[in-house]
Amino acid sequence: MSEDVIFSPLAWRNLQVKNRLFRSNISGRFDNEDGSLTQTRINWECQFARGGVGAIVSSFVPVQMEGRIIAGYATIHRDDFIPLWQRLGEAVHRFDCKYILQLSHSGRQMDLPGVHNQHRRSLSSTDHQESLHGFLCRAMSEHEIERTVQAFADGAWRAREAGLDGVELHAANGYLFTQFLSSAINDRRDRYGGSLANRARFLLEVIRAIRERVGPDFHLQVKISAVDHNDILPWERKGNTLAESLQVCRWVETAGADALHVSVGSLFPHPLNPPGDFAFDTIASTYDAMLSAGTNTFRNYLLFRYSSLRWIFRWLWSRHQRGHAVEGVSLDEARAVRQAVDIPVISTGGYQRASLVREAIASGACDAVSSARALIANPDLPKQWQVGQDEPARPCTFCNKCLLNAPKNPLGCYELSRFDGDHERMIATLMSIYDTRPELRLPSVPPAQNP
Amino acid sequence: MRSQEPPVTAVQQEARRRRWRRLPLSLLALAVVLAGLLALAIGVPTLWRYSGESVRHYADPETHFLHGSIGSEVSGLPVRLWRVLPDLFPDAFDDQHYEAFGFLYAAGDEASRGDLPIGLGAREVRGVEIAWFNCALCHVGTVRESPDAAPRQIAGMPSNNLDLYAFIGFLLEIADDPRLAPDSVLAAMDEQGQSLGMIERQVWRYAVLPQVREGLLETRATLAPLLAEQPPWGPGRVDTFNPYKLLQFGMSAADLDASERIGTSDFPAIFHQRPRQGMDLHWDGNNASLQERNLSAAIGAGVTEESVDHVGIERVADWLLDLEPPPSPYRPDPDAVAAGKPLYMRHCADCHGYQQGERYVFEGERLGQVLPNDLLGGDPARLDSYTETLQRYQLTLFEDDERYRFRHFRKTDGYANLPLDGLWLRAPYLHNGAVPTLYDLLLPPADRPQAFVRGLDVLDEEKGGFVAPDCTPGEPLAEGFCFDTSQPGNGRQGHDYGSELTTQERSDLLDYLLTF
Repeated sequence: MSEDVIFSPLAWRNLQVKNRLFRSNISGRFDNEDGSLTQTRINWECQFARGGVGAIVSSFVPVQMEGRIIAGYATIHRDDFIPLWQRLGEAVHRFDCKYILQLSHSGRQMDLPGVHNQHRRSLSSTDHQESLHGFLCRAMSEHEIERTVQAFADGAWRAREAGLDGVELHAANGYLFTQFLSSAINDRRDRYGGSLANRARFLLEVIRAIRERVGPDFHLQVKISAVDHNDILPWERKGNTLAESLQVCRWVETAGADALHVSVGSLFPHPLNPPGDFAFDTIASTYDAMLSAGTNTFRNYLLFRYSSLRWIFRWLWSRHQRGHAVEGVSLDEARAVRQAVDIPVISTGGYQRASLVREAIASGACDAVSSARALIANPDLPKQWQVGQDEPARPCTFCNKCLLNAPKNPLGCYELSRFDGDHERMIATLMSIYDTRPELRLPSVPPAQNP
Repeated sequence: MRSQEPPVTAVQQEARRRRWRRLPLSLLALAVVLAGLLALAIGVPTLWRYSGESVRHYADPETHFLHGSIGSEVSGLPVRLWRVLPDLFPDAFDDQHYEAFGFLYAAGDEASRGDLPIGLGAREVRGVEIAWFNCALCHVGTVRESPDAAPRQIAGMPSNNLDLYAFIGFLLEIADDPRLAPDSVLAAMDEQGQSLGMIERQVWRYAVLPQVREGLLETRATLAPLLAEQPPWGPGRVDTFNPYKLLQFGMSAADLDASERIGTSDFPAIFHQRPRQGMDLHWDGNNASLQERNLSAAIGAGVTEESVDHVGIERVADWLLDLEPPPSPYRPDPDAVAAGKPLYMRHCADCHGYQQGERYVFEGERLGQVLPNDLLGGDPARLDSYTETLQRYQLTLFEDDERYRFRHFRKTDGYANLPLDGLWLRAPYLHNGAVPTLYDLLLPPADRPQAFVRGLDVLDEEKGGFVAPDCTPGEPLAEGFCFDTSQPGNGRQGHDYGSELTTQERSDLLDYLLTF
């Protein structure tokens, strides 16, 4: 066993992990329109398990079809998907890697609604459309809230049934939980809006419902935005402060969560999540996939498309990034959360250098870190750390092209410089996860039906 | 209503809902944009059309003298209106064109074709071509050697035909005439084939013609009380300074002293300006600067400090410097001429210079100097019409421009001794034209005709000057104007310099004068 703190195992209440590096939640459109997952997803996740991460937090996994962010992401809304998730879990477990399913609901932050959702406004805490893209929404009724709470509980139960190692509630980055939590978004006047306790009610009800459904011995962690920074557009309000979030974390702990996963930002993407560059040329060619999704998308497209207009968006975006490091961007907030609660804390934010991770954990700022982009660039990052390298030879540049390609292209690294300018090699790397070797079966022939 | 596919997405539905909500605003914005574009499309060409000014340049200086602009258009009438006035007021024009008031047309010009008479310069000001007086109005006349001969037009001689009083009276009278209303004027233009575009028609209806009428009414209010007090000037005459006082300096007729209200005198000839440099110019010799005299005359023609076209005026002035009168057609007995010349040299040359063969000699002790009217004894009206008050006003003109500022005007006590070059074209004689012929001028004032016909251009072979039969004031004439020397300002007295000669001496002197 290594003495390196990164590789010292974690033994939490309901989860044991071999090291301190988690693959943070990230996904491409690998799956089927009905929400069933595919071999591609299994291949995708296994490359990180093979690379040596201790645990994988799945992608955004909707608990209802009406909570998808992008059609093509696997869901956990049907019992008959349990065997599929079970296969994924088994695949990952072969590498001694844990798999935590991220139970999610988009609320109004629905990038590509797909045929299931495009005809209706998405559900949210509010009637006010999303500020950046102009996604339409309507405030959920109490009955709908109740139904959604139940859906989360059912999702957790399915994850457990599938033999997965735990669940995470995605209560960060602008999705449905954030829309309830944030003082800048939630404008309800019922018991789910107004005071912080009211705004946190939905999240806490979900935690309690999950505990009720799956019992106390199934790992449940909550990902939370420690600070909203909701004012990307200067006329928007700032939203929740760190102090408010700490209070929410205490309530979450009390309600029965096993761990907290700390991020920042009340929408996604956000200048601080993921931090780094904003690749205008990339988004100019991919954002058109979202043009029909929101009422402001055309405006944004013009801002991205024409270089003479880009300064406007660049100014809006960069003014929040000043003074913030890219790696460990929200480590201070994680430290504050860890001091406020007695459950373990995972800090997310572009971790790529072993020394930084080591110091973060050793200093008690967090118990583990999670990273996504650095692992997309180098899935074997833990192994490289393990042999003593502080940083990979070809590190992630935090260009964010992986993220900005996502609406239209396969998920993966698009930084050509990392492939020595060899486009073919880059494509080959992107395509490697589609190497499915399928065993095609003929569907059974149904009995003849008269029209 | 066209049936529509139901919206496919919530965003489309929202867009449709917003479209309906925004429709009035969008339509309003569209209307504003369209109105703006329309305003630009119409406004820019219109502004272009109705801005700035342009004036026609005539290469030949004499044509410039006859038709060129000196900047008097600010007081003038639109050219299109000049063309229709004879049609609108046939009674006043006696079914003719401007020749009814003694205007002349240059050779080749046809009033019926829309050509303007001599003496009008035109300039396009803010898109409207306006014409008004230039120097030639008062300084081009005609002569005929016999009643059957064709009139011969001579630039530089007094405009012996022009009845300016009648013409101005006509303009003031029509100021409130219904025939000057836009409908009637536009209809007359249409009839003449002067086509106006749609916008131009509106500009004329609502801006140009109302402005013309307003200007005429204003001039009438200023000028009519003065003209009403003056005996009709008759052809070939003008009151130089009194209208000038009212129009240029804003005095009212009532402000004027009774003694100064009639200043009517003959149009002068304007040959040979170079030798006149430094002489006392104007009938009363009130200015010795050619340039100031020219500019002052231009102001009399309607030029203002703002509108003056110095280049145009100076071009005329330069051309006039050496303009010669045509030689006298009279062929008097050479012996008589030879006998008359010494008499002239003894009695007249000192004040007037003399004729030497074909050439006029501008020499004489008192040539071009003012002779006190106490000695001369002429009608004082013209002398009195120029006052010290007017002089003070004149010295304020062009104050801001050292090149043109008036400095030389002065009040004199008599009339200037003028050179007599081109004398055969300058009848009737004396400053006020009160003596029809040279023969009559040599008679004692009491023997000179008491009333005679002016405005004829047939040379009187015997007496020198134009045929001017006696007439009875008030009785109708077939042609011409009955000039009554008993009217104020028209007195035939003074310049009594022939009466002491014998009849033979007077006859010899007259023969010599006929060669001038």
